[in-house]
Amino acid sequence: MERSNYKSEIPIFEFPGGIHPKEHKVESNQTPIRDIPLPKQLVINLKGQAGNRSLPVVNVGDTVLKGQVIAESDGIFSTHQHAPSSGTVVAIEKRPIAHPSGLDDVCVVIETDGKDQWCDLSPKPNTHNLQRAEILAHICESGIVGLGGASFPTHIKLKRESGIHTLIINAAECEPYITCDDRLLQEHALEVLKGAQIISQLYQDLTIIIGIEDNKPDAIDALVSARKELGLDGAKIAVIPTKYPSGGEKQLIQLITGKEVPHGGLPADLGLVMHNVATCFAIFEAFEYGKPLVSRVVTLTGEACQKAGNYQVPFGTPVEHLMKISEASNPGVLVMGGPMMGFELPNSKVGIVKATNCIIMAAPKELKHDHLALPCIRCGACMDACPASLLPQQLYWHAKSDEFEKAEEYDLFDCIECGACAYVCPSDIPLVQYYRYAKSTIRNQKVEKTKADKARLRHEARQERLERVKREKAEKHRKAAEARRKAAEAAGDDDTKKSAVAAALARVKAKKAEQDEDSATGSSNETENQETDNKGNDA
Amino acid sequence: MSLISSPFTKNPTSVSALMLWVIGATLPGLFALVYFFGFGVIINIIIASVTALVTEALILKTRRRPVLPILFDGSALVTAWLLALAIPPLLPWWMTVIGVSFAIVFAKHVYGGLGNNLFNPAMVGYVLLLISFPLEMTSWLPPAELAQNPVSFMDALSYIFTGTGFDNQSIASTRIGVDGFTMATPLDHVKTELSQGYRLAEIETHAVINGLSGSGWQWVNLGFLAGGLVLMFRKVIGWQIPAGLLLGMVAMSFVLFASNSDHYLSPSFHLFAGATMLGAFFIATDPVTASTTPKGRWIFGLGIGIITVLIRTFGGYPDAIAFAVLLMNMTVPMLDYYTKPKTYGHKAKRATGDSDAD
Repeated sequence: MERSNYKSEIPIFEFPGGIHPKEHKVESNQTPIRDIPLPKQLVINLKGQAGNRSLPVVNVGDTVLKGQVIAESDGIFSTHQHAPSSGTVVAIEKRPIAHPSGLDDVCVVIETDGKDQWCDLSPKPNTHNLQRAEILAHICESGIVGLGGASFPTHIKLKRESGIHTLIINAAECEPYITCDDRLLQEHALEVLKGAQIISQLYQDLTIIIGIEDNKPDAIDALVSARKELGLDGAKIAVIPTKYPSGGEKQLIQLITGKEVPHGGLPADLGLVMHNVATCFAIFEAFEYGKPLVSRVVTLTGEACQKAGNYQVPFGTPVEHLMKISEASNPGVLVMGGPMMGFELPNSKVGIVKATNCIIMAAPKELKHDHLALPCIRCGACMDACPASLLPQQLYWHAKSDEFEKAEEYDLFDCIECGACAYVCPSDIPLVQYYRYAKSTIRNQKVEKTKADKARLRHEARQERLERVKREKAEKHRKAAEARRKAAEAAGDDDTKKSAVAAALARVKAKKAEQDEDSATGSSNETENQETDNKGNDA
Repeated sequence: MSLISSPFTKNPTSVSALMLWVIGATLPGLFALVYFFGFGVIINIIIASVTALVTEALILKTRRRPVLPILFDGSALVTAWLLALAIPPLLPWWMTVIGVSFAIVFAKHVYGGLGNNLFNPAMVGYVLLLISFPLEMTSWLPPAELAQNPVSFMDALSYIFTGTGFDNQSIASTRIGVDGFTMATPLDHVKTELSQGYRLAEIETHAVINGLSGSGWQWVNLGFLAGGLVLMFRKVIGWQIPAGLLLGMVAMSFVLFASNSDHYLSPSFHLFAGATMLGAFFIATDPVTASTTPKGRWIFGLGIGIITVLIRTFGGYPDAIAFAVLLMNMTVPMLDYYTKPKTYGHKAKRATGDSDAD
């Protein structure tokens, strides 16, 4: 594939490992971004972002306009969702969604009226007059999430202000097949840079660096001329060699700064914040035109589709509609995302979500299918390919034999699941699957352990209380017996009649004392009984 | 519903392709062996390969594993091939059969098959033969240019299967070189002569020691070196183990040689003698039984190089690659554990042995 001759404006470091899979980019990056005819129905998944599911604010039967809020963010770790087109809400129910789990989740289904009529928009083009909080609030209300694939709410990522000195725009797009960021830059580099400028207002003296792989010469040219037009000379273009996974957040940071994000830390710990080009574009549109995020550029590609290319797709558009548009026939497999980290869609009825950068409609033999995995021969090809410098062969060994503690010792949780190891494995072992299995099992075990710890603490507290009650009872009986003995002794000294009266008095006294103590301990006995009941219920 | 999981694409290398590369890369060394020591080598390879495939198929069947896919992963063939390259060219056929089948059954499948064995199967087979049949296993032919009675193909066949030559000549007479002595390998020769009180300067005038490290052997080693370099550049094998092994060998032999050059062989002799290059590029690099971390591979190689020189110099056997490889195989689990590379985002390497998880 064509490589750019443009020289990187900053020195580029290296990251270890990485692979060079076939790029498959020319199939889709030769044509401009096209609009699509509206589908009849839009199926909008309310968990379209990382974090909490948005709370629906429309009811079945409501008429909605394009851009109208249909679900509000549930707490800080969530965002708003907007109607991608005008129409009527016909259902709010569980549907199959575009998620690796393959499980159903709550979706708002809108029947489009074909008018595609916008609601009243509130543009804020003069961002210079806005406070930091206002900018963040507008980003949140516009439903903007990271469009590189993780869908992390953007306003949260932008929240931390102190110590941030560099904004890295991720335009690496290292996964094969995907070209949506490439096309977006070729056609809208100016808008993307303007979006980056809005982000830079949130910080003091922010340096902008655009990281882009050298297999996108046209996008690089577009960036250079857009930067000139804006007079944004401070922004540097870092042209990185094409190598998967250079677009991984940690890897791109290593390429550009030579530093590693500390284990368990965030890029912000290095003074960095990273956003995808499409996210910058969405921010620009949100402020310039007041448009909330209701659609995105999606690459439709794969050998099964006749009209591969990039399309502006409203969220919730069913994949089967896209298959019709791109003239795909009998795809062997439907993959959302790239071939390295994407996942197979459960069926073609699921709607596009904010994370959908690409749909691969693969011909039956185009993508890998299950076949016999041979034993690991410890050749270490995976180790040489691992960008995190892990020992995938050892991780596999321990994950396979359920030795999770060992797997954790080999830094299992530093695995970014990029799939480079499985790509190079001569034995065809689905390595990443083993790591996902080990990770989720360990997570579950930790949850179980916390639960068990709590139960143990409760049990111990109860044991202690029972002991205490027993001790108090024994003490009480001892005191009563002593009182009786004293009374008897006193009676022995006097004459019989007197003593008989005294003995009776003493008995009454002792009994009274006993009753008093009983009422004191009685309440604790009650709670004890209650708890025993509760326990019975739990069981 | 069964969904497949990412990645959905992979490069086309396979285990059998790797194994074929290994076999292909032995060809230059094999040609040298055939040129200097006759067709016995080829016959041995055929006997060993057939034995390996039959044994592997039988034991896979016994273990109720899929026979065909595993049989054609090529690993059994590589074991057979390497063992056949290491044994003397006229070894009786049944010894080869014992060595190979023992390697496949006891060194490989008893541990759980390919990928699970601790010890290098070819070397286990070799050592079994070496300790059981020391005479036959150290009886090499004189290299072609020194031989009085060069061995023809029919001769080799006859020796291997009947113990006598095609024209009823005894094997002992075939082993006599130009100077009328039974031929040992250069390493063996030097060892025997040194123990007789000769000095190296005198021994080196003997015909069997001409050139870098003895007639024929230097070419065999150069052949394996060439093939090994191809493997290295094709990235079929890592470079650390051969580099470590050769470095360890040079360093150790240099120390000895510098202390007394009259009694200890020079580094260059060690490098091109015996099974050095075969060991460095083809045997020690068996990924299953070698260390798997970059640093661990260095140490693994260095260890083999050093131990080889020590056994060659002070031990009872003329060559020692096999012993050195097996000894270092034992250290692999520990090497792997203590030589983890620094993971992305972690500060310094932690001594994981201290963690309470153990």
